[in-house]
Amino acid sequence: MEAIASKTVTQVQKQGSPAIEVKQLRKMFKDFVAVDSLTLSVERGEIYGLLGPNGSGKTTTINMISGLSKPTAGSITVFGQDIVHDPRSVRKLLGSIPQETALYEELTAWQNMVFHAELYNVPRKEREERITALLNLVELFDRRNSLSGTFSGGMKRRLAFARALLHQPELVYMDEPTLGVDVQSRHALWNYTRDLKKQGKTVLLTTNYLEEANELCDRIAIIDHGKLLALDTPTRLKQTYGGTVIDLETDKPLSAATLEKLKHLPGVSQFRQDGVALSMTVSGEQSVMADAISLVTAEARLTTITQREPSLNEVFIAITGSQLRD
Amino acid sequence: MFEQLGYDTRVIWACAVKDIRSALRTPASNLIIILVPINFLILELLFALSGALAPTAVVNNDPGPYAQQFVQAMQNAHSFRVIQTTAEEAQREITAGDIVAIVTIPASFDDDLTAGRQITIPVTLNNLNVDFTNDIRRAIPLTITSFYAKAFPGQVVVQMSEHDLYAQDTDYVPYLAVSVLVIAIMLGGMLQAGNNMAIEYERETIKELLLSPASRWAIQVGKVLGALMVTALSTTAVILVVVAILQVPPLNWLEVIAYALVMMPIFGAIGVLVGTLLRSRRAVIPLSLVLVLPLFFLSGAFGPTSFGGGATDVVAKLTPSYYGIAAFQHAFHGFTTTPTSTATNVLILFGFAVLAVLVSALMLRRTSVAH
Repeated sequence: MEAIASKTVTQVQKQGSPAIEVKQLRKMFKDFVAVDSLTLSVERGEIYGLLGPNGSGKTTTINMISGLSKPTAGSITVFGQDIVHDPRSVRKLLGSIPQETALYEELTAWQNMVFHAELYNVPRKEREERITALLNLVELFDRRNSLSGTFSGGMKRRLAFARALLHQPELVYMDEPTLGVDVQSRHALWNYTRDLKKQGKTVLLTTNYLEEANELCDRIAIIDHGKLLALDTPTRLKQTYGGTVIDLETDKPLSAATLEKLKHLPGVSQFRQDGVALSMTVSGEQSVMADAISLVTAEARLTTITQREPSLNEVFIAITGSQLRD
Repeated sequence: MFEQLGYDTRVIWACAVKDIRSALRTPASNLIIILVPINFLILELLFALSGALAPTAVVNNDPGPYAQQFVQAMQNAHSFRVIQTTAEEAQREITAGDIVAIVTIPASFDDDLTAGRQITIPVTLNNLNVDFTNDIRRAIPLTITSFYAKAFPGQVVVQMSEHDLYAQDTDYVPYLAVSVLVIAIMLGGMLQAGNNMAIEYERETIKELLLSPASRWAIQVGKVLGALMVTALSTTAVILVVVAILQVPPLNWLEVIAYALVMMPIFGAIGVLVGTLLRSRRAVIPLSLVLVLPLFFLSGAFGPTSFGGGATDVVAKLTPSYYGIAAFQHAFHGFTTTPTSTATNVLILFGFAVLAVLVSALMLRRTSVAH
């Protein structure tokens, strides 16, 4: 991919402008507000994760950024180009890996790539070289003459990835890039994504796998009900919204009175109990470890105790109040 | 500008080639667009053959020359399939439902005729089918008149003086066969383009098309072109059946090709429109049939609509198939079935093509992809 990247000549106008700038974006479907005064900015060269439960407005936002849907109000610029006024220029800069891969199953891998090259006006003299390099990158060159309909889910994703890069886009949008693929393909796709960042490309990623967002994203925006709820690096999100998680296990279930006391210790923002296992999320600088141990050991034997950072999933639940797959 | 034109041309070609490749990998749908018009042809032939001549038993009890001439007049009437047989056999056949009528020529036919006596010809009718029954009721008096005109030319003083508009008569089957070519183009274009468009939505590959910087006009024209090329193959197959098997050759091959090329984009574009709106092949196939069949029957498939007159004629004039059938009849038989000239018909078809392409491209909106 580096060989291809070295040949990339970016003619992106308005140098210095963010990769994506969304201001006061609003989208209404009749009376329903799908996106509400959303403002966000994706910097050039970063991997930006857009997370939110189903129906949060994530897809509507992406559709507006890619020109598939028109905003009711607000503005979107991609590398300084206004998507509403100059959608064609924006489309040239955008590479898309949709969730459903959108491959032509009756065409071979090579024919899919050639068709994409025609749609994006890739120069004929460079076409063969680029396709060969990209198919080699995703380890599908040997299968170039096979119908894409015969590929496994992972292979289709890799081919969709190669295809999205064929016209050397500055911004790559990935919608659930590893949904339903095997572990090997998932790690391969993560590596390709990291390579894109190394080349200075901007990646906009939506995913339901928080582990994936944690691994790849420089910043994560969490949206729900069309509004931006949180935006930061994965680490800072965990620090800000999660604090510390204390996991405890006892030899016997605790009484209701003790559980109530634990729940109401100062700084405890979340409390979960599953049989003899307890999990307490503590916000801010409060330390409740000593108080928790004394309350628990007063009526049971403590078998395990750990203190850890919260997972992104716990942060997500803390912010949105719902599971990602709701 | 030239650069953009070159890019658009490449997109058109790429979309057409892609759709042709996809179509060639789904032979079942290609078979439908060939088989449906051929089935129509067979169906209409069966109608024509079964409805044309009424099977009629003639029991001739008089071996005389006038009686023979009467039988000959029946054969020349183009209404009977004459079966000369005995009274017993005729009775058995009419009871079994194998024949429509028994015409019995009395043994004294020649003698009575020569003597100028009244002759009664008994006709037994199986009046189960009013169409055949009326054929017999009309054709027997006509046979008597034509028999008289031939046997006694001096006695029948009223004669018809026929002036034909065209050099040759056109039989029912050659007329129908040409109309069926139009159904092949209509169905082929709509099904091919409609399915190709619907599958883009079914498999969500429409995103690959509409997220690209290619213009939707180029994409749409490419899809119409792809459908046109596949339809051209299926229409050629139907033309071969018409020319080689039914022995209905066109008077002007160039006209056939030209009219087909004007008509195919109309129905290709309508197919793209239908596919864009319905987004499902399961819906495209029945809707294409539902749209095409009434259009076909309305548009003068069985004869010029002006013969019927009234509302049918007015509605027919609003459909491209009306002008298409007229154009093809001209290419094959040299006559014009519409009040407008063939050149005007072709111009109208061209107008339909431009309109259909415009409307379907307008409907192919990028925003149609977003859920």
